[in-house]
Amino acid sequence: MDFLTNIFLVYSFIAFYFMFLFILIYIQNRKKINWTPKAKKKYGVGVVIPCYKEGKTIGKVIDSFLNNGYDKIEKIVVVDDCSPDNSFEIAKKYEKKYPGLVFAYQTPKNTGCAAGSKNYGAQFIDSEIIVYGDADSFPEKGAIEKALGFFDEKNVAAVTSNVLVKNRTNVLLMLQAVEYIIIKFTRKLLEFVGSIYVTPGPLAMYRKSIFDKIGGFDDKNITEDIEITWRILSHGYDVKMSVPSKVYAESPETFRAWFQQRIRWNLGGIQCIFKYAKSFGRKGMLGAFVLPFFVFSWLLGVFGLFILLYRAIRTIIVRFLLTSYSVEAHTAILRLNDINFNPSILAYIGIVLLTLSVTYSLIALFTVKERKEYKRPTVFTFIIYEFFYLLMYPIVLVTSGYKYLRGDIRWFK
Amino acid sequence: MKYPVFLQALALTIVVLIIGLYLGILLEQSRSVEINEYSIQSEISLLDIVALNDLIGEANISCAVLEKSNFDLVDKVYQEAKLLDEYEDSGRLTQNLKDLHRRYDVLRAYLWVNIIQTKKLCDSNYSTIVYLYNYDQKDLSKKAEQNVWSKVLYDVKEPRENLLLLPIAVDTDLISLNSLISGYEIESFPAVIINEKHVLTELVTVEEVEAFFN
Repeated sequence: MDFLTNIFLVYSFIAFYFMFLFILIYIQNRKKINWTPKAKKKYGVGVVIPCYKEGKTIGKVIDSFLNNGYDKIEKIVVVDDCSPDNSFEIAKKYEKKYPGLVFAYQTPKNTGCAAGSKNYGAQFIDSEIIVYGDADSFPEKGAIEKALGFFDEKNVAAVTSNVLVKNRTNVLLMLQAVEYIIIKFTRKLLEFVGSIYVTPGPLAMYRKSIFDKIGGFDDKNITEDIEITWRILSHGYDVKMSVPSKVYAESPETFRAWFQQRIRWNLGGIQCIFKYAKSFGRKGMLGAFVLPFFVFSWLLGVFGLFILLYRAIRTIIVRFLLTSYSVEAHTAILRLNDINFNPSILAYIGIVLLTLSVTYSLIALFTVKERKEYKRPTVFTFIIYEFFYLLMYPIVLVTSGYKYLRGDIRWFK
Repeated sequence: MKYPVFLQALALTIVVLIIGLYLGILLEQSRSVEINEYSIQSEISLLDIVALNDLIGEANISCAVLEKSNFDLVDKVYQEAKLLDEYEDSGRLTQNLKDLHRRYDVLRAYLWVNIIQTKKLCDSNYSTIVYLYNYDQKDLSKKAEQNVWSKVLYDVKEPRENLLLLPIAVDTDLISLNSLISGYEIESFPAVIINEKHVLTELVTVEEVEAFFN
């Protein structure tokens, strides 16, 4: 067997392993995916909404928390990170309108990251549960209450929600809508093996006592929501996900904004890998699965991209030479005779993997229900997602790695 | 183990991949068996033709029969070798076809020798093109050149009934072939020998090759 065949088989092994892992987890837990436990007590909840340049949406976000249907929200704290727009003024208006419930604060100076304003807001919360929202994300009615039952288990430190795409006005947004559904579905499956690796900002809930004990968010990490989840796991606590707790987030509308967001996510992931490198093989599922999963995904993605580029460049060179020689020799560039109708075993393996991957994505799309007013992804979007969108991931990985090595770690907004 | 699903997935992956590889090896072996059967049939036909060659001039055996047998066998071997190339391109797990390729090269070299003899014996007027190339070509430019050479020669051969085309790999360590081509003093491959007289080592147009037969 040649080198590339061996590489292909190694990749196939890994791909099959993860496909089977997720499919088996799904089969064994499919009835529990949309289930949430009913809380045995009324938890006091304090909400923190960090805000930077979100004057257009902050008011509506506060409204969606006020009208969320949970009657034990004790405080809603809006922390403006010295926005140059009117975000703080709007938050102040709400403070006046809802005295004793809504509070508007401003950080002494711009912290430059979400963690800064999130930690700043945490000092004003003394409720049992601290809930974080984003100033451009809208929790569905009942989203908070549906998640609280998980906190009946004493070891649960955090509960994450089901973040979905709100704006679906172009193809890129529709692709992200598909991606979000599949990611959320996968995250729920990871809960069943104690391996949720992120509690995303749009709606995340933490037991305040544990949140304080582990020291809140790390403001040196640009994906503070990944980092805090890893820290929770490293302390031996559990993280759960409430699929029915939906929150609809404004997603990047342009390719540039999308690319910057993904770079930030990956840079934060790399920061976490280095921060927790010593936990490899230790600290429960963090070292046994989450950390190796991140490291190998990154390595395999980057290596795979180089192999793909090598193959692509080689094919282009051969095609170019073939074309120029064919023209020179007055013969056909391509004939039906040149097509090989005897596929190799690797092609069959690829078809099986693709079928499994498409099946998995379809299960995710049919399992995670969205509100009816949101446009459902079409077959066209799904095909573009499976065959083109996913191919962008390794490029994001390589760019992130390059930026990390250069020390170019910034919060893009 | 706290989560047995990790081991279950591992076991399932190993089973599925082993089955996949086993089926792959079976598929490649079945292709190898198919080509081997063709090869045996062609070898029998060649031996038959060689025997026929020896009988020329005796027992009312005509050159027409011998020539027709040569043509039929060359065409048959050409088609089989084409199929062998396709199977080789698709082969990933086993090396059986590589040996069969050498076998076909010996067969075609032997066939070429026989055709030369037949031409002398029968004073035949049909033409031959022997295309000599490197089987294990690493140089991309040479690889592309070889590919285009095969297309050019196919274009020349296709409309001509009295033209025999014999592609033979030269890097297969065949003593008979090496001796056969040593007289042509060819310094680089791919090379094309037309009617055992003209040698082309640079890629030319279809029309330029055709000019040898018009």
